[in-house]
Amino acid sequence: MVEFAKLRAVIKREYVERVRSKWFIIGTLFGPLLFIGMMVVPAMMTARNMRTVQTTDFRILDVTGTALGDRIATSLRERAENAPNRKAMGDSAPPVATTRVIKTTMAELAAAESLATQAVMAEETRGYLVLDSATLRTSAARYAGRNASSIAEMEQIEAALRTALLTERLAAAGVTGPRADSLTRTRANLATERITSRGRGGGSGIAGFIVGFAIAFLLYMMIVLYGQNIMRGVLDEKTTRVAEVVISSVSPDTLLAGKVIGVGAVGLTQQVVWMAFAGGASAYGLGAAAASGVNITLPQFTLFQGVTLALFFLLGFTFYAALFAAIGAMCSTQEETSQLLFPTTMPLIVTIMMVQPILTTPTSGLAQTMGLLPFSSPIIMPMLMSATQVPLWQVGAALLGLVVACIAMVWVSARIYRVGLLMTGKRPSMKELMRWIRYA
Amino acid sequence: MTDLALDIRAVSKRYAEHTAVDTLSLQVPRGTVYGLLGPNGAGKTTTIRMLLNIIAPDTGTITVLGLPSSERRATDRVGYLPEERGLYKKMKVRHVLRFLGELKGLTAKESDRRMEYWLERMTLKTAAKDWGNSAVDELSRGMQQKVQFIGTLLHDPDLVVLDEPFSGLDPINAQALKDTVVDLRARGKTVIFSTHLMENAERLCDSVCIIARGQKVLDGTVSAVKAEHGTRNVALSVAGGRDRVAPLLAKHGFVERVDDQNRFLELSLAREADPQALLRALVAEGVDVERFELVQPSLHQIFLEKVGATNVEPGMSGHG
Repeated sequence: MVEFAKLRAVIKREYVERVRSKWFIIGTLFGPLLFIGMMVVPAMMTARNMRTVQTTDFRILDVTGTALGDRIATSLRERAENAPNRKAMGDSAPPVATTRVIKTTMAELAAAESLATQAVMAEETRGYLVLDSATLRTSAARYAGRNASSIAEMEQIEAALRTALLTERLAAAGVTGPRADSLTRTRANLATERITSRGRGGGSGIAGFIVGFAIAFLLYMMIVLYGQNIMRGVLDEKTTRVAEVVISSVSPDTLLAGKVIGVGAVGLTQQVVWMAFAGGASAYGLGAAAASGVNITLPQFTLFQGVTLALFFLLGFTFYAALFAAIGAMCSTQEETSQLLFPTTMPLIVTIMMVQPILTTPTSGLAQTMGLLPFSSPIIMPMLMSATQVPLWQVGAALLGLVVACIAMVWVSARIYRVGLLMTGKRPSMKELMRWIRYA
Repeated sequence: MTDLALDIRAVSKRYAEHTAVDTLSLQVPRGTVYGLLGPNGAGKTTTIRMLLNIIAPDTGTITVLGLPSSERRATDRVGYLPEERGLYKKMKVRHVLRFLGELKGLTAKESDRRMEYWLERMTLKTAAKDWGNSAVDELSRGMQQKVQFIGTLLHDPDLVVLDEPFSGLDPINAQALKDTVVDLRARGKTVIFSTHLMENAERLCDSVCIIARGQKVLDGTVSAVKAEHGTRNVALSVAGGRDRVAPLLAKHGFVERVDDQNRFLELSLAREADPQALLRALVAEGVDVERFELVQPSLHQIFLEKVGATNVEPGMSGHG
C-alpha cells in the first residue's frame, strides 16, 4: 500500500533538511571550484615541472668535427628562452648557465670524459653529451649526468639532437640558411574528429573523452556521496530511536522509498546546479576561445542521450542507495558501518578504476562487459555513449539488466530494513540476515 | 463504533529463541486509563508494537478503535510514545513536530497551528524564550521529552499508548505527564501505558493487566483486582519497631507474611484471623500501637504474589 501523503512528507523532510544544511550549500557552490582545482592544479604542477627543466647547463664533447655540438647548444638555448610556460609564469630572467661545447678528438675523448665526470661530481655542471665519430652516421649519442633520469630533460636533448642532425644532413646535401630553418622547424598538429554512424559532427575525440570521463566521475561521486548519506541517515534514525515513532505512523517500505527519492532529488539538484555552472563556464570559455581564434567543438548531446543519462543515474542511484540503506539498518554503530562500507563500495571502486582503460579502448570486450553489468553499467554505459557509438541493443540490455537488479536489490533491502530498523545490539550473521529476508 | 478502544484476541508472537507473547487476550474499554504491568521481558513492548502494527503477530487478531490494527486509519488515530525516546537531533523543534504531524495525516498547516498551543502549554514557548526554533540537540533532555509528548499528542489521538512513560523523567515532567493523562481521560480519550512501577499504575489506572512471560496473569479494574485479593492486610506501626512485635506476631499465628515497609509493617493476615483480635492481643501485651489500619493490598504486593519474584527473567529487557 502506497501512502502518498506520507511518502510526500518523508521525501520533503529528507530533501529540505539536506538542502538547507550548510554542507550542501558549501558543497554545491564550491564543488565546481574544487573540481576545477582538481584539473587545474595538476596542470599547474606539470607546468611548474616544465619550468624547472634545465637543459642548458651541461657539456657537449663533440668529436664529429662539425658544428653539430654548437647547433645543439643553440637549439636548446632558444628553446629555453622561448619556452611558453616560462613566459606564462612571468619569468623573464634568461637562463644563467649555458652549455659549453668542447671540441675534441677520438683519441682525447676518454680523458675529456673523465674530466667531465669529475666536473659533474663536483657539481660544476649537470652532465655531458658525447657526440662521437659515428653519431652523424648512426644518429646515436650518449648522455651521462645527474639528470639522466629526467624524462622531460632527456626528451628535450633528444629533440635538439634530432634537429641538429637534420640540419647537419641538410647542410651536407647543400641546403643551408633560411631554407634549412624552415625545413627543420616544422611543427605538426593533429586535429581529431569523431565519426559516428550518424556522420561527422560528434565533436573531437579528445572532447568526447573528457566529457565521458566527467560523466563517469560525476555519477560515481553522486552515488558514493549520497548513497552513504542515506546510510548515515538510516543509522541516525536507528541510534536516536526516532525510527520507532516514524514506523508506527508510516510503513518501512514507504519510509525507505521516501528516503531514496528525497536524497536522490538532493543529488539531482546539485547536479543541475553544477551543470548550469559548467554550461555557463563552457559558454564563456568557448566564446573566449573562439575570440582568440581557437575552435573547439563539444560533443552534441541528443535528447536520447540526456534521457538515458538521467535513467542510468536514477536506476544506479536507487540500486546503491537501497544497498546502503540496508547496511545502515543492519548496523548499530558508525564503526560497524565502516567495516561493511569497503566490501560494499568495492564494485564501485573497481568500476571507477576501469574508467580510464575503458575510455582508451571503448570498443573492447572489457568495456562492453562492464557497460552491461548492473553494478558498473550506471557509470560505464553513459560514459561509453558519450565517447563512442554504442549499439542501441546494448543500451537497452544494460537498462533492462539494471532495472531487474534494482527491483531485486530494493526487495531484499526493504526486508532487511524492516527488521533491522528495530534491532539493536550485535550485527546479524549471514544466517540471521537470510532469516530476516525470508520472514520479514 | 464499539465501546472497546483495543481488543486483543489470542495473539502470539514467537522469535527464534523464545516466545515473546503467548495467546494473550485483553480488552480495553474506551475512555479508561489502562495499565499494562509486568516485569522486564514480560512481552509488554512486543504487545504494544503489535497493536501499532510495527510488527505483525504470528497468530490472533488485534482490533484498534473498531478497525483491524493493520489499517492505517486505525493507527493514525493512535499516539505512541516509545520506551526508547528520540528525535531528529539536527532538526528544529517546529520542523520535527510538523513532520510527526504529517506522518499522522495532518496537513503541514494544521500541524503548525496545533503545535503552538502545545509549545506554550509545555512551557517551551514563553515570553522570554521560544525553543520552537532551536535545533532539538540544543534542548535539555527534559525539554526533548516534552517535545516528544507533543509529537505523540499533536494529532489529537483517540488512543494514546505510552511505553514506560515515567522512566527517565524528572519529577516535574512526570507530574506534567500525569496531568496530561488525567486530562486526556477527562476528554474521553483512552490511555494505555506499560510500566513495571506499580505505584504509578496504582495511582493512575482504572484497569490493569499483569503479564509475565508473555502470558496474562490477571486483569480487571484496579478496585476489582484489589477486592479479589481481600482486605486482609494491616498496616501496623508500633513504638520500638519490628523487634518489639515480631515474636508476638509469630506466637499468635494471626499473620501469614510480614512485609517491612520501614515506617510501618504490612501484615497479611492468616485466613481465619480476626484483625480485631490481633489488635486486642497487641494492646493486652502492652505494645504501644501508633498505627493500626486495615488496608487493601497494594498492586505491588498482588504483583509479587501472582508473578513471584522468581518469575522475573533477568536480562530479557529490550523485547520487554
